[in-house]
Amino acid sequence: MRQALHILKKDIRYLRFEIAVMLVVTAAFAFIGARRAFWMDDPHANRSIAWTLVQLQLPFIWWLLIARVLHAETLLGDRQFWITRPYIRGQLLLAKLLFFALCVSLPMLVADAIILGAFGLSPVEQIAGLLWTQVLLWAVVLLPVAALCSVTRGVVESFVATFVLLLILLAWNVALPGMTLGVMWGALDWVTVYYAIGVTAVAAVAILAWQYARRRAWTSRAMAAATVVLVMGGGAAIPWTTAFAVQSHFGKKVGSPSSLHIGFDFERKWLARALVEGDRNVELEIPLHATGLPADTELKGDGLVATMQAPDGTVWRAAKEPWTKIDAERGILSLHAQMNEDFYRKIRDRATTLRGTLYFTLYGDGRSSSLPFDGKQVPVPGLGVCSAHNNGRQELYFLLCSFAFRPEPNQVSIRFAEGDNRGYREIEPGGPVARISYSPFPADPEISPVSQYFQYFNMQPFRGTLSRAVIRTLEPLGHFSREFQIDDLRLGDFEVRRTRLPE
Amino acid sequence: MSDVIRTVDLEKRFGGTVVLDRLNLAVSEGSVYGLLGPNGCGKSTTIKILMNILEPSAGRAEIFGNDSRRISPRRDLTRIGYVSENQELPEWMTVEYLMEYLKPFYPSWDEARAAELIWQFDLPRDRKLRHLSHGMRMKAALAALLAYRPKLIVLDEPFTGLDSLVRDELIEGLLENAEGSTIFISSHDLAEIETFASHIGYLDRGRLRFSEEMSSLSGRFREIEIALARALPAPLVWPPTWMRAEESAALVRFVDTQFEYERTMAEVRRLFGEPRDVTVRPMPLREIFVTLAKASRKAA
Repeated sequence: MRQALHILKKDIRYLRFEIAVMLVVTAAFAFIGARRAFWMDDPHANRSIAWTLVQLQLPFIWWLLIARVLHAETLLGDRQFWITRPYIRGQLLLAKLLFFALCVSLPMLVADAIILGAFGLSPVEQIAGLLWTQVLLWAVVLLPVAALCSVTRGVVESFVATFVLLLILLAWNVALPGMTLGVMWGALDWVTVYYAIGVTAVAAVAILAWQYARRRAWTSRAMAAATVVLVMGGGAAIPWTTAFAVQSHFGKKVGSPSSLHIGFDFERKWLARALVEGDRNVELEIPLHATGLPADTELKGDGLVATMQAPDGTVWRAAKEPWTKIDAERGILSLHAQMNEDFYRKIRDRATTLRGTLYFTLYGDGRSSSLPFDGKQVPVPGLGVCSAHNNGRQELYFLLCSFAFRPEPNQVSIRFAEGDNRGYREIEPGGPVARISYSPFPADPEISPVSQYFQYFNMQPFRGTLSRAVIRTLEPLGHFSREFQIDDLRLGDFEVRRTRLPE
Repeated sequence: MSDVIRTVDLEKRFGGTVVLDRLNLAVSEGSVYGLLGPNGCGKSTTIKILMNILEPSAGRAEIFGNDSRRISPRRDLTRIGYVSENQELPEWMTVEYLMEYLKPFYPSWDEARAAELIWQFDLPRDRKLRHLSHGMRMKAALAALLAYRPKLIVLDEPFTGLDSLVRDELIEGLLENAEGSTIFISSHDLAEIETFASHIGYLDRGRLRFSEEMSSLSGRFREIEIALARALPAPLVWPPTWMRAEESAALVRFVDTQFEYERTMAEVRRLFGEPRDVTVRPMPLREIFVTLAKASRKAA
């Protein structure tokens, strides 16, 4: 440990200018991020361009600092001063890790805590998120960049390697979206994201350990290349159903929808259609109905797989990832899929059986909070710290909620209310952000520690006064799958053709 | 005396190129061993294997009786001082900070000696290494090595690119401060090695041509000039230990690599009869080296 501290002291002295720049950028991040908490009172506080810029600068300065400190004792080569000096390799690695902890991790931890505090979120209560953000910082940035630097001969070579690697990943994602990080899976994206993070972090640790023990570039470079391939193919390597199984394993399991039944929704039979596009595909939409849900619960479809069998034995399977549409009203789902027109012709006029599995999340444990429009911050369970505002002329009413690190994957509905009962604007249940995640971890891999949820209502046309915003949240009780079967389905009954208007 | 450095059938190949070919070398404790050879003969590769910078392809190298691949920082590197002509130094450090930084790495670091070395080499304490001349940098590197009194000093072409004044200062500083140390030094420049080496090894295209004490080496190489009393018999078959043989009608000149007066004279008489005059001259190391290099090139 003594040698590690000695090397650390030297590195801090060596990189004092870079560290100062890093601290200035981190301080700017904390300052601008904290000021954003007051944008309702001071419109100038929300400097979104500066905020974006500082968030872009941070990874760059992290990279620079990591590369510079690693290459203070470059591992590859035969001319370095240190390799014939009594450096203990483990101590050298420890010194570099301590440098990351002291010069990158700790300032970011403090900056995150400052920003949380400014938004009225207690850093102590958010300790899990604060620490998990640090885990992600190490797994996503510090260790992988350090591993990359350990297999290159200098800062310039490290920069070129990083640039090429990012270019490859970007091109790959553009060419085959969904292959790498499963970007099409919505709330389940975290499974492939964490797969990529996990593979990268494990490989980075292995490469660093190997390089600091042996200084043998080619083995480590092969490991790095294998990691890139594993990450790039991650989306394809993990089937959606596996991701859902992982989700079910990690998610809560409160209650069981044992009496749940999925069937054809006869009440909404008019929704069913087989749209013959004329491009050798038929667009199917089949409304489904879920009955037997436990009391005070709601169902949100996450995915659906379906098959149909033709008389000649050929089987149609929903080609893409499971795709369902959930209606505004509870328990109404529909299957959207494309069917090959040849297959469609085979079953068009026959009573056929649709077999499927619905993957869904059950929401319940509803909680309500009522906030007067007085601008005071109130903790709202399942959402964050919220405040309801009025613009002073009884016209515009706002609800602003801040949450730390990541939103709870809850369904949130809001009612801008007058008195106790009368509601003016009902905001339908939905996630507090566009892309919620069922991740079981307390933070997502993002730089900003706080996100906000904002709703408003213009009361001017109604000549009234609102008294409060009522927030209702439902939290996920568990993730389940249920097989179902619909017999005697004749798709020809729902056939529609796209009509071309005469020119 | 035990061997501080030993190589056994050491081989190093880079792809298909053999750089070291079954090298067997022994450097005894307390000696000043000069490893000589032309550029590209494998001197630096030998040193890099000894310092565990490179791995051998076959055979093994030992330092202090330990396999070079298992050199321990605490056990071995604290007793070894290494300076190479093309070593990258931490250029951002000042001379003083370099000394200060290295001190905790070496239990035997002598602070008073470090200060003395800075003074002796006339090193500017506050100047960064990047702002020093090549000669000054080598002095700084040597000072940073001598300050902990290493048992073994390994110098890889330390005098390349230095003017003679700096070279003399370095040698003087080295010899004054390395008492009790074994010195292993590689060079293709012989003049300075000759002045202080106790042992010499000659490496040629990866093979060790000889390795022996300096006194024995200078003793067995002689340049001999013979004035003949009669015409040269033809054709002449030269003894294998004679090199650079030149002949004219009345004069023969050659280098005997295994000179012993009686034996050499007997051979002369056998080949040329009683000579009119014989001149035997001792050879400086530079000439021995040139002779060997030329003979080697001719053989190649």
